[in-house]
Amino acid sequence: MDEFFFEVVEITQSVWDGILFGSTYALIGIGFTLIFGAMGKLNMAYAGAAIAGAYVGLAVSMLFDAPIILVFVASALVSTMMGYLIYQTCFRFIPTHNHLAALMASVGGLFLIDEVIVHATRGSPLNFPAIFEDAYFEMGPFGIRGDLLFVFFIGLVSTVVLLYVLFRTRLGIATRAVAQQDVAAQLCGINVHNTNSITFSIAGLLGGIAGAMTAAAVGVLSPVMILPLTIKGLIVTVIGGLGSIPGAIIAGLFVGGLENLFLYVRGIDERDMYVVALLFIFLVFRPNGLFSKTITRD
Amino acid sequence: MLKIKSISKHFGGVKALNGLDLEVEEGVIYGVIGPNGSGKSTLINVICGIFPPNKGDVIFQGQSLSGKPTHQRSKTGIARTFQNIRLFPSLTVWQNLWVARNSVEDINTESRFYRWFGKSNIVKKEIKEMLEFSNLENRADELASSLAFGEQRRLELARAVATKPRILLLDEPAAGMNKDEIRDLDSRIRNLQLQGITIILIEHVMELVMGVTDRIAVLNFGSKIAEGNPQEIQKNEAVQEAYLGYSEDD
Amino acid sequence: MDFYLNLINTIGIHTMLGLSAYLLLQTGQLSLAQAGFFAVGAYTAAILTVIFQWNIIPAVLAAMLLAGFLAFLVGFPALRVKGLMLVVATIAFSEFVRMFFYNLKWRVTRDGEEIGPDGTMGFAEIRYFSDNGWSNLDVTLFLWTFVIIIMVVVWWSDNTRAGAVLRAVGEDELAASSVGINLTIIKVSAMTVGGFIAGLSGGLYAHQVTSLDHHSFTVLLGTFAIAYPILGGLSNVFGTLVAVIFIQGLLVEGLRFIGDWRMILFGLLIVLAMNFKPLGLFDKQTVSMVKRAMRLKT
Repeated sequence: MDEFFFEVVEITQSVWDGILFGSTYALIGIGFTLIFGAMGKLNMAYAGAAIAGAYVGLAVSMLFDAPIILVFVASALVSTMMGYLIYQTCFRFIPTHNHLAALMASVGGLFLIDEVIVHATRGSPLNFPAIFEDAYFEMGPFGIRGDLLFVFFIGLVSTVVLLYVLFRTRLGIATRAVAQQDVAAQLCGINVHNTNSITFSIAGLLGGIAGAMTAAAVGVLSPVMILPLTIKGLIVTVIGGLGSIPGAIIAGLFVGGLENLFLYVRGIDERDMYVVALLFIFLVFRPNGLFSKTITRD
Repeated sequence: MLKIKSISKHFGGVKALNGLDLEVEEGVIYGVIGPNGSGKSTLINVICGIFPPNKGDVIFQGQSLSGKPTHQRSKTGIARTFQNIRLFPSLTVWQNLWVARNSVEDINTESRFYRWFGKSNIVKKEIKEMLEFSNLENRADELASSLAFGEQRRLELARAVATKPRILLLDEPAAGMNKDEIRDLDSRIRNLQLQGITIILIEHVMELVMGVTDRIAVLNFGSKIAEGNPQEIQKNEAVQEAYLGYSEDD
Repeated sequence: MDFYLNLINTIGIHTMLGLSAYLLLQTGQLSLAQAGFFAVGAYTAAILTVIFQWNIIPAVLAAMLLAGFLAFLVGFPALRVKGLMLVVATIAFSEFVRMFFYNLKWRVTRDGEEIGPDGTMGFAEIRYFSDNGWSNLDVTLFLWTFVIIIMVVVWWSDNTRAGAVLRAVGEDELAASSVGINLTIIKVSAMTVGGFIAGLSGGLYAHQVTSLDHHSFTVLLGTFAIAYPILGGLSNVFGTLVAVIFIQGLLVEGLRFIGDWRMILFGLLIVLAMNFKPLGLFDKQTVSMVKRAMRLKT
């Protein structure tokens, strides 16, 4: 009986930690979904920009011996700029209806970012500072990791700020207008290209935060993190429903929690297979995701 | 030949078709007119199987079309054109017709093998005839996207005819046409009728409708408010009210 | 000499991989699943020759059939998932296949030696060619026989009604079904044939490289598979071949001149190519321009 109780506690602990960590997936998912909502396109270079931002943040901290908080701010800022850059180079000049070319261009961007990182660091992983890594709260049989709590908290704050910007500022309204009807938005005097570049920048900001948070939670920064983060981000976006922010949030936490459950039950080698299988289940039963904004772009 | 039985179709709260009853006899040119939003395009989409109706049924040559997907309806002999032209832009004129032509399984003389190798003389001859009918013979190898507007409309019509239909649904074919083009379209439609094809013409351009149709149904708010030959319809008060908001006697 | 034979082999395999995606892209299905079918073909053929001691030709053909059958099964659910969601779903599928083989352990002892796929250690000792006395030239000719056959088949498809129907479906599904084309049959067939081709090339690949590692079958391979036909243009089989030669030549030869920067250049190249020639390097306009220019010369 004790054994059983212990198992339950362990599993719950795992899932709980996963949910906290899942806030990073949620941010990445929001980033993908923002861009999809605005342009109907997938930015495959997104997670690359997020991790790249974390690298620069790390470099800044190493060069200037600055407080840790600066690392995260630097990461976020760099990723914001990269988001803008990616828009200009991979999406702005490609005709809207040509999904293939935009996809390939952002894939090219992903290769580029990945290779630059590998080059600059000679492929070796780097240690990433964590915040509040020693903090650990106990609640009965459960422990709450302080660093994960911080990650979750930052994710929460970012999301709230984002929602405020989207729904209460002129910029946000313009973004949503372009997302829903870009021709009509133009007729109302909204510059679509400017709005889209701002959307990409905002997404980049979230990505940079997510990248830095992921690295902080794991303690390590390495280019091999880019691809799995991309895939998990895409899975979260699709499960949540392409174009839906609440969907991305819930899906992110959901995937984070389940991922740790799979890890506990089946080990690290098989964990990701189950996450992918989860996606397939969703595609079968709810192909449009949890909250779909069924965008029929013909 | 074609019966629309009490069809109702709504999208959310909007009732596009409301208990509509129509009967189109074989060999006629049947016009469907009505103010914008009266359900004309929805009618074509329901007949072609793009949306299933919420209520009612479409009966074609005595058989219900219920549950049949679009491509199957095309195979039973229903063809259509689109209001905003839907050609295959990166295919040539010839290929646009080719794709539509072999869909019909009526060649017993040549083997499938020949047809799939593109060497079927029967197919080549038929496509050539259709190109001549549409005055597009010397444009055969051009991409459909490079055609002028009028040529595109002719190609769209030819492509629909290429499927060897028994009934042809034309969705506002005269939109954007000048008087010469309308006259040309009028004679083409009559020509098709002589070839034995029944035609349903959905149109706004009154001179075409009144000039070429045998019977007309008038829709408003998804149901039929009048039916008759062109002269009767022109005089009909309900029709005038629907279009103009008042009738001549007001 | 061996170096060039290797390059020619790689070009052949990648051309087949590209052609497997070519048909699918024509029907408008953005599939990154080719890497998955490729992997299935590779492991199946290798297992058949190594563990079951089959002759290479039936092994490769069996691999082709299995991959094709899997593609057939994938083709149906793929119908329900539109556009960019299909990209994510096929990425997930390829990853699932990769992870499956990463975990596959099937060891058999023969002549005192352990052979077969060894889970995370990969699958080495695929020695059919060397065991049976094939020279490197023999391998190249054998491989390219298949490549030529596939190229002819796809070229044939392009020039008959089949090719026009595939492209009609890709351009406008509504118009296509309105003229009697059965979308389901066409799209699933394209997926199945794509699976056959990918499986075939995978089977040949396994024996050419003699050892398989899950790193070869990542999403990267899937993006290469669609990159070739996109760069080469979807109207011409030779476009894909030229794109493969160009890219592989750049990656391999470029090693000599620009060293490790070749991958960075590669990413940059894709981004540039998509901005300036979004319809591929060999789109219809370029082809007719070249034709006209050649006519002027003579």
